[in-house]
Amino acid sequence: MSKVLGILNFEPSYVHVRGLEDFRPISATSILGRYRVIDFMLSNFTNSGVEAIKVFIKSRPRSTVEHITHTSYNLNSKRGKIQLLHGDTDYRNNELFNVDIQAFKTYMEFVDVENPSYVVIAPSHFIFKQDFNEILEYHIKSKNDITMLYQSVNNADTQYLMGDVVSLDEKKRVTAFHKNRGKYKKVNVSLETYVMSTLTFKQLVDEACTTSSLYSLSDIVADCVRAMKIGAYQHHGFCACISTLNAYYEANMQIKKEKELLKLINDDWPIYTMTNDSCPTLYKKGAKVSGSIVANGCQIEGTVINSVIGRNVVIKEGAVIKDSVILPDTFIDKNVKLECGVVDRLSIITHIKELKGTREEPIYIKRGDRI
Amino acid sequence: MKKNNMVAMILAGGRGSRLFDLTKKVAKPAVHFGGKYRIIDFALSNCANSHISTVGVLVQYESILLSSYSARSSTWGLDSKGGGVYVLSPREKDETGLGLYSGTADAIYQNLDFLDQEEADYVLILSGDHIYKMDYEKMLKAHIDAGAEATIAVIEVPKKEASRFGIMNTDKTDRIIEFEEKPKEPKSNLASMGVYIFSYKSLRKYLKEDAKVADSAHDFGKSIIPAYLKDGLKLQAYRFKGYWKDVGTIDSLWEANMDLLKDNSGLDLFDPDWKIYTDDASATPQCIGSKAKIDNAFITQGAIINGEVDHSVIFSGAEICENAKVSESVIMNNVIVGKGAKLTRCLVADDVRIPEGMTLGKKNSDEILLVSKALIAKAGENHE
Repeated sequence: MSKVLGILNFEPSYVHVRGLEDFRPISATSILGRYRVIDFMLSNFTNSGVEAIKVFIKSRPRSTVEHITHTSYNLNSKRGKIQLLHGDTDYRNNELFNVDIQAFKTYMEFVDVENPSYVVIAPSHFIFKQDFNEILEYHIKSKNDITMLYQSVNNADTQYLMGDVVSLDEKKRVTAFHKNRGKYKKVNVSLETYVMSTLTFKQLVDEACTTSSLYSLSDIVADCVRAMKIGAYQHHGFCACISTLNAYYEANMQIKKEKELLKLINDDWPIYTMTNDSCPTLYKKGAKVSGSIVANGCQIEGTVINSVIGRNVVIKEGAVIKDSVILPDTFIDKNVKLECGVVDRLSIITHIKELKGTREEPIYIKRGDRI
Repeated sequence: MKKNNMVAMILAGGRGSRLFDLTKKVAKPAVHFGGKYRIIDFALSNCANSHISTVGVLVQYESILLSSYSARSSTWGLDSKGGGVYVLSPREKDETGLGLYSGTADAIYQNLDFLDQEEADYVLILSGDHIYKMDYEKMLKAHIDAGAEATIAVIEVPKKEASRFGIMNTDKTDRIIEFEEKPKEPKSNLASMGVYIFSYKSLRKYLKEDAKVADSAHDFGKSIIPAYLKDGLKLQAYRFKGYWKDVGTIDSLWEANMDLLKDNSGLDLFDPDWKIYTDDASATPQCIGSKAKIDNAFITQGAIINGEVDHSVIFSGAEICENAKVSESVIMNNVIVGKGAKLTRCLVADDVRIPEGMTLGKKNSDEILLVSKALIAKAGENHE
């Protein structure tokens, strides 16, 4: 098989996950108790047999670096390689110029070193399960210049906002790109995943650079909609675009249902993550837990309803956690009532006894807060 | 700082016949424990946490799974340069041909080449089937400070139980003056934990001599330690305080699992400074359904709970279906407890499927019921 290079792109400028984003890129954000968002896409790559992967990081690289260096993603430790490329140093004070094309341009020599025939570019702020071989096969057979992944959704009025929406002809070729401004429910959203030859990739990067310093990959692809054959490959099954705090919250709530969970993560398509060597979770006398997923290392004495509980979380007696996402290493003291919240890592809730958000606007407790 | 080179040797070849079907195809050290572990994880993690870098695992009985599991040194962080977990099975030799390990001492004797190769100064002998957390580095310091040729870890046991153990009789300085294997009338309550540190030079000599004795049991307790005592070598007892359990029977294995539900058992698996490492299943987080009821349980990732669980330990990949009820039980890996089934005081072996509506075990039963595939098949026949 021809050599494929995996490129994990960083998040585009429309991604704003209130609170969480102040501490780490979306790729390193904890999800479903024991994973990081990036685990899903990196496992897609390695489960598809891609051995060379470049991970681009926009800013605050610490947590992504730490996570990836401690996770093997089931790659052969000699043949496989995940390289982290962190490209923001020159753009620290100017977010506007921190775009993927500039990062690709800066690090093109590391793409050349791999000498791949094809590149698969996948987003770091999406969660879905996809065998990239399927798209590559389709790409080669259909003689497209670029093949991109899309999904027909019917919740585009609240999710996928400001992402790309594509219009397709009967041959599944893209005829036009639009931004999703939430006007319609049912559209074909781009999953920001592109397959193309390395040659085309380099052409696009060069062309984008000569057009504008602000151009992103999705901009230049949209520009080429007439000049190139851009094919679309349909994705089925669960998909989430983590572009806002609400989207992050909803993704947790959706995947935590047993059926979705087992479709997304199973023996045929394992999701690899870093082990923390936590022991199992202890449900103490009086604990009441239902409709939830719980990571290891927790000690629960209180009540947990319809929530996601991260690793090493302590929930004391009388506490009630409802419809919430609790990130790892958090301490919830006695009699605290929390509803529709996202509690960031290492925080301690003890004095404030009632915290309530809504599903649309979950309340966010900052990393390391003591309240 | 140059460290004293102590090589650990884990005796993991025993059959564990009192665990019946659990050890039919799997050596006892590889039996699952505490939700996500295998029994041998405790000895291996203790080694890693005690800064021991080289560990030999001596295997013999049904060793396929145990060997492949132990060989993955990185699981316990034991994959440093120059260190590792080495699986040592009986091998064919030029002079003596192929010989099985005929006793604990013989097993070490047959691997003297390995200890020579690793340039051991001290040898730590461990059992692969005990649940405990212990700092062997401290024990080595005590061994060196006492100027002993051998140091044996001991734990105080209730006097009435002392006749089940190897008992050390010591003087005021904790020097061992007598060793009695399972004495009818014990003179002390210091039981050997099966954890020994030997200075390698003298051990090497005694093992070689013991190998020449045809009618020797080639056993540390029966042959080597008595020889040391006879020759007046210094044997020191090292008192261990804390949780220690030999999980040799279904009841004791069940009990050790139940201890994990207690706040004060002395076995703290939450301690971040002394973690027990294990193969990390790429399983989902634990999924607790909307109808689930959980009261005092120890549950690990990959488990799916839709029924009722109280006073139980649920292992990776186990599924408790709706309206099923599991009480005072140990549910091992990938077990499915069918809808409406009721289990009380059971220990269910890996991969067993409990049919819908089946009731097994009794409250206040004298013995814990081992539920194996064979038992389910038999119950099915009787039902028809």
